[in-house]
Amino acid sequence: MSTIERFPAAWVLPTLIPVALFTIYPVAEALWTSLHQVMVLMPDQPFVGLENYKTVIFGDYFADALRNSLLFVLFCAPLVVIIGTAVALFLRRPFFGAGIVRSVVLLPWVLPGAISAVLWVWVFHPSFGVLNGLLKSLGLIERSIPWLIDVNLVFVSIVAAHVWTQVPFAVVLVMAALSATNEEAIEAAKIDGANALQRFRFITFPQIKAMIVVLLIYNALTAFTAYDLVYAMTGGGPGTATTLLAFQIWRESFSMYDFGAGSAVAFIVVAISALLILAISKAMPSDLFEEA
Amino acid sequence: MKPRMKAWFGALAIAGTALTAQPALADVKLEFVVWNYSIDTIQDNIKKFEAENPGITVNLTDYTWPDYQDSLLLRFRGGTQTDVVYGGQDWLPAWAAAGYLAPLEDIAPAETLDALKKDIAGFALSDMTYKGKLYGLPYYADTISFLYNKKILEEKGIPVPTTWDEVMAASEKLKADGMERPIVYEYNQELPNFFDAFVAQTYSRGGDLFDADKKAIFDNPENAAYQQLQWLADAFAKGLVQPETHESKIIPAMNTGKHAFTIVYNYVLAAMNTPGEQALAGQFALAPMPGSAQSTLGFTKFYAVTAKTAADAERAEAAWKFVNFMAGKPYKVAERWAAEKGLGFGQMPLFQNKDVIDAWQKWVDVPTLEKQVASARAGTWTEWTVIWSAYFRPLLAKAMVGEASVAETMKAGAERWNMMQARFAK
Repeated sequence: MSTIERFPAAWVLPTLIPVALFTIYPVAEALWTSLHQVMVLMPDQPFVGLENYKTVIFGDYFADALRNSLLFVLFCAPLVVIIGTAVALFLRRPFFGAGIVRSVVLLPWVLPGAISAVLWVWVFHPSFGVLNGLLKSLGLIERSIPWLIDVNLVFVSIVAAHVWTQVPFAVVLVMAALSATNEEAIEAAKIDGANALQRFRFITFPQIKAMIVVLLIYNALTAFTAYDLVYAMTGGGPGTATTLLAFQIWRESFSMYDFGAGSAVAFIVVAISALLILAISKAMPSDLFEEA
Repeated sequence: MKPRMKAWFGALAIAGTALTAQPALADVKLEFVVWNYSIDTIQDNIKKFEAENPGITVNLTDYTWPDYQDSLLLRFRGGTQTDVVYGGQDWLPAWAAAGYLAPLEDIAPAETLDALKKDIAGFALSDMTYKGKLYGLPYYADTISFLYNKKILEEKGIPVPTTWDEVMAASEKLKADGMERPIVYEYNQELPNFFDAFVAQTYSRGGDLFDADKKAIFDNPENAAYQQLQWLADAFAKGLVQPETHESKIIPAMNTGKHAFTIVYNYVLAAMNTPGEQALAGQFALAPMPGSAQSTLGFTKFYAVTAKTAADAERAEAAWKFVNFMAGKPYKVAERWAAEKGLGFGQMPLFQNKDVIDAWQKWVDVPTLEKQVASARAGTWTEWTVIWSAYFRPLLAKAMVGEASVAETMKAGAERWNMMQARFAK
């Protein structure tokens, strides 16, 4: 019998130790914090049970943050996947300068969230914004639209910015999936008279659906835990119009200096994320990852 | 032991003590922590201090303004050597209560402190005092000001407003004449300025958010804060307000000539009136904050010494020398900040300083400002104010844009304040 079979624990230890150090310990520490009163300005850290959870859930912000986060997921995840797939299908075709276009499409992906936020603030800015300037010069509006102040429009603005930052990654993954599809089947369908939509629906999609599901889950989680873009673009406002749960973790912890409450929100986010993954996975057909 | 030997040992001991003690005295290296405004000027001031005080060197560490308080708290809690810091009126009660800072009375001669106190503006002295003890000397002190575009008002024949109703009427007239949004407002619920500006407007109406026992009273519809929030909500609802997320955006916005009024820290006026940098420089002026009292909020950032440093006699002495150099008489450093950078000051004699007046009258009417500084009031700063303000600001923002009612907002804010007061009292 080989050593690896006789001492399996010893062989997985080099992997388990970093996982324990960088994942289990911080999560356990956060759980401990959520059950204690941990305020930077107070020296004692007494056990408070579920008091932090009660405080944040029944506070003035949680309901709004939860609603906004779920809506954000609902809009962003499908939009990223749909736009990403469409762009990938387009870029798959050979055309002049395709290589350059493919590189440029990736640009938003490499920009840090805060930089993207600054760019989008200048797009939506009421006085100097590109968008208002464009709409005015086209004669479509007379007065500036307060994109980042109107409580309804501001949500549209952050969805647009978030989708813009996430689409490139979706494009890359869908293009990778497309490169493995059966070209001959598509050619055969063309000869049989299938139009582009039919070819996508009946031939391409079944071959890339596993990737689409992975992207959907990934984007649902990315949207649910989005923080930097919202922080830099709107600061969660106006009021609570763009306050997401991940932003609320920061606000409870670093704005109100209540790490107990912040950790409680973090654990709620973890629980909802787990439910989200389960729900999406359950909704998918069981043969998803089988060979098409 | 023979007397001669005793004498030799005694002499050796004295020489040894002198040899070991001297380098320690000569090598005090202070850790000075600031936010990253005008680092070159700070470094130059440090150089001058070091030249005047051989044996003391100062190492400067800076953080960005948004990260400053968090970074400093981590330094305090982590035990990182920190001797002199920039403090703020809003942070003082919590930092002092937590034992991070030391009162200057512990390290400075009483008569020197008394002489300095006499020169400091009332609100600034209050801002730096916690439980009767003075915790700092002013780095800069300023007020929140009501600024307007002189040219626009003159052209439209609108007198400078003296009440909030007049501001509303003037804005409505300007809007009717084609100005889209006459008021630019710093609207960023994550910034303390957002709450400070609201307090300043409450003071201008002659009111306060809290009573003498520090109980929240602003949920009463008769309260000045309640009325001012209603005023702001009305102004937003009428489309008179152009919100901007930061003062740095207000400067170019006002310089477009598309807005007539704003409420910001006074130093923003200096930037707005800088010739060569701003298109409409010279058109902007300060007016007393509208309202029956015409008072405003004053605030103070100051040099403070940590409790850890105060406990070490040698470092404490060096730290006091440094603080006194930066903020004490003859106020050369404060004068430099005022003249070169337009920073406000808490040392009232600087209003009679020719260099300061010469520099300031290029962008502000100095007598009007002096009157405003003299009548400015300090905020209500408690151990929980910063935490509560972080909670209250988004509620305030919601009410301004009509996402919540004024009554709901004030009720929720007052309940939270009273809850926190009870919690901290425990």
